[in-house]
Amino acid sequence: MGAIRLQQDRLKWASQTAVAAWSAFDVQLVIYAGLLAGMGLVMAYTNSYEAGVSPLSAGSTFTRGLVWAALAIVAFLVAAAFDYRWLKTFAWPLYCINIGLLAVSLAIGSGVGGSARWVTIFGMQFQFSELAKVLMAVVLANWISSREAQVGGLFTILGALALVVPPIILVALQPDLGTSLVFGAMLVGTLFISGASLRWLVVLGAGTVAAIPFAWTYLLRDYQKQRLISFLDPTADPQGSGFHVIQSMIAVGSGGFLGKGLTNGTQNQLDFLPVQSTDFVFSVLAEELGLVGAVVVFLLFAALIWRVLLAAWRSEDTFGLAFAGAIASMLLFQVLVNVGMTIGIMPVTGIPLPFITHGGASLISIALGLGVLQSINLRQVRPKW
Amino acid sequence: MTPLIEGQPRNARLLPRFLLFGLAVLLVLSTLTARLFYLQIASGGYYQGRATANMTVLQPIPSSRGLILDRAGRSLVVNVPSFAVKIRPADLPYSQRDQVVARLSRLLALTTTQINETIDSNPGSNFDLVRIASDVPEDVARLISEEHLALPGVQVVTEARRDYLYGPLVSQILGYTGPINADQLRRLQRQGYLPDDVLGQAGLEAQYEAQLRGTYGAEEVERDASGRQIQVLATPTQPQAGDTLQLSIDVKTQEQAQRALQWGIQAAGLKKGVVIVMNPQTGEILAMVSLPTYDDNLFARGISNADYQKLIGDPNQPLLNHAIGEIYPPGSTYKLVTGSAVLADGKLTPTETLNTYPYLMLGNYRFNDWNGAGFGPLNIVGAYAQSSDTFFYQAAALVGIDRLAYWAHQFGFGAPTGIDLPGEAAGIVPSNQWKLQTFGQAIFPGETYLAGIGQGYDAVTPIELLDAYCALANGGKLWAPQLVHQILGPTGEVVQTFQPKLRWQLKISPAILATMREAAREAVVIRHTGNVVDMPLYVAGKTGTAEFGTRKIGGHLPFHSWFVGFVSPSGDFAKTDSQLAILAFAYDTSRSIGNVATEVVKYFLQLHYGIKQDYRNLFLIRPGAGN
Repeated sequence: MGAIRLQQDRLKWASQTAVAAWSAFDVQLVIYAGLLAGMGLVMAYTNSYEAGVSPLSAGSTFTRGLVWAALAIVAFLVAAAFDYRWLKTFAWPLYCINIGLLAVSLAIGSGVGGSARWVTIFGMQFQFSELAKVLMAVVLANWISSREAQVGGLFTILGALALVVPPIILVALQPDLGTSLVFGAMLVGTLFISGASLRWLVVLGAGTVAAIPFAWTYLLRDYQKQRLISFLDPTADPQGSGFHVIQSMIAVGSGGFLGKGLTNGTQNQLDFLPVQSTDFVFSVLAEELGLVGAVVVFLLFAALIWRVLLAAWRSEDTFGLAFAGAIASMLLFQVLVNVGMTIGIMPVTGIPLPFITHGGASLISIALGLGVLQSINLRQVRPKW
Repeated sequence: MTPLIEGQPRNARLLPRFLLFGLAVLLVLSTLTARLFYLQIASGGYYQGRATANMTVLQPIPSSRGLILDRAGRSLVVNVPSFAVKIRPADLPYSQRDQVVARLSRLLALTTTQINETIDSNPGSNFDLVRIASDVPEDVARLISEEHLALPGVQVVTEARRDYLYGPLVSQILGYTGPINADQLRRLQRQGYLPDDVLGQAGLEAQYEAQLRGTYGAEEVERDASGRQIQVLATPTQPQAGDTLQLSIDVKTQEQAQRALQWGIQAAGLKKGVVIVMNPQTGEILAMVSLPTYDDNLFARGISNADYQKLIGDPNQPLLNHAIGEIYPPGSTYKLVTGSAVLADGKLTPTETLNTYPYLMLGNYRFNDWNGAGFGPLNIVGAYAQSSDTFFYQAAALVGIDRLAYWAHQFGFGAPTGIDLPGEAAGIVPSNQWKLQTFGQAIFPGETYLAGIGQGYDAVTPIELLDAYCALANGGKLWAPQLVHQILGPTGEVVQTFQPKLRWQLKISPAILATMREAAREAVVIRHTGNVVDMPLYVAGKTGTAEFGTRKIGGHLPFHSWFVGFVSPSGDFAKTDSQLAILAFAYDTSRSIGNVATEVVKYFLQLHYGIKQDYRNLFLIRPGAGN
């Protein structure tokens, strides 16, 4: 009987564990992320049309999107199953890997116009700077959690800054100004959420602003300056760098309330839009699905960020809090800069729109981030027995 | 279970930050939404217009150029499809330009310099197509089309090219079409001409451009960002084909004239020659040959620089229609003017005589008669028939230079005839006023003498001279000569019938003109024009020679010969019913052969009237003749 009793106990334990895990598993987070990724596939579908191939043929934007989505689901599940607390142990090795990957990108990477953003692995282009965002979230969260007792001290901020600056420089050298800015946003966001000193954060921000003239003169390349100038006045050079922004605004504006319908966007299908499956994917969305489609996407992002912040709120340890803060900041900043760029209120940078922009690195990195977040959710509560 | 909502102990402290972060999310998303609302709803109409303007373009549809037929309805020119290579400079990235130009230069057998010059001298904007090559062989055109990815901005277009079926035979008359130049574009852009357009550049093609071109249509075309045409959305206006010209020229007559002149040129070693045949009753040109000539197909196919330089560099100017574009001293043919003047001004009656002499002296200058002996007393008919120089010196002196100029102008000299061809020159009629304006001094008496025999300052175009003799033949009607008999619409209906264009009626009594016709017939009858009289035709006419040009090593100037006259159907020269007037002009009869022009005219008449017997004669050698 004892054996049976033991077995029953085990069954009860197992079922209790499963129920508890399920109750802790944030289904909403998965739903919102899944819907956004689904919207990304819809955009990949319409952009396959634009490229003049059948969306279902091998190698089309759409089928590649499907492959990436499947890999992202796997990445998510693995990360969720993995106990996030181990990440603290691996934080420093991860940081070294991160720096190493960015250095490799710089050395052997390829990209548009002499830049070095992509590394080709097994015939697939991979942008390590996307993965670097999630790895940075881990490293930052680890640092802040190690400073748990004195999180409000200046050293928290200085240490985080010291961690972020090397990858920022490596990415800026690619040159990828946008991703550097994302790192900066994650740094500020996670420090803010984790309870770092507001006073010193303000000083940090003021220092950055003060450094702008210096950066303009010595760090920015001509094309980057040109983009910033054309952001300030797109009509100054309508056939040059302002062209993309003007065409994007025409695409968005002509979409109207309900849009022109999927695959019917003339600006998109007739190639007036540049890089319409990546940087300017939101222009396509707004042109073909209209204001309604855009607002739906905004609501999904708002809901997703809410769930990420909720994970931060619930997290028992500072690591979970800081990691979720970094992910929420990353999402918010990328939405602001990418969408803002397509509607003429932000300068043109190569920042992807999470989930929607076609690209494996971005999608898998976000899936990893959300997986870690889910892992954090799952491991806050112990079944009582 | 710990109630999750309670959160962690630190959360009380962090709550304001979470709320602030949430506020930031709301702020960002509502800002983006507000901007989207502004773009998509408030300015939606504006941006929809921009998007439509982006993708549609109103594109001209070329019309089919009108044809040209000869008098009998034979086609002289047809439109054949051909390939042209054009570049839109705005679509050719500067970094790739050298490479694209190098590839094109190999494919089109042009130098890179030529292609670059063509692109840079483009009369339109960077967004307009520039014509690089016309009439490209099909295999090359296909190759360029297939390489379009490596040749950004390069387009192969199918267009109609002119194919001139008779080539050099009627080149001087038809002219040719060619690419529009910057000047023409500025002038014609408002009429819808395009920067890569083709238009008539010479001859009737240029003269009747408005009629031949037709009206271009327009179509609304959907295009993508690189300007490639996706589909035609609508065709608001269909192109209208141009009108067809039916010429007064008959190819057969033209061929006879060319054959006669070519024979004369070869036999006598001429450098240039002209034959014009005209209907004195209407002013219609029946044949007009100017040699040397060129093949207008060279131009229609896009003439190579080497070919063009060869034509331009030829001292005998094959591109120039010598029948209308150059002036020469008329020589004795001008005695028509002096004779008519002396009768019309009442200085002589038709029966009055003047003595003629071996020469006349004026101060120290000696003015010879051409035979060096004189002919005794002659009336006007005899003097004209014998072409006595001393008679006409005296006649000119009796009339005076200014009245002589008046009558010359009456006969249409000194002004373009108004023939429907571009590039017509005007002759020179000397008068006191003319010489004062030109040289700042009055006419000397000796110059009046020379003016009386068509030498000195006198200069005429061949068409002016023939036009004057047509007025003689038809009783005083001075026509504007015409090459186009009628104009037909695209479906063959007549849209413009032939109307003779009278410049004016000569203010000379019909009796005087009848006397001058009698004189012209007498010149033939007394064999002053050789054996023309033996032909089974009633010909009246006058020969002329004049020294002209630069002196040769042998001592004499290169001289040229004229024959101008008309055929009477009845032999009654009191009547004004001639249907055919002819002029032949031969330049530089360096072999001192008699009047080559007369021989050419005889040969033409033989061919034209089907006369079997050959009256040509190349043994009349009269060195230094001044008849």
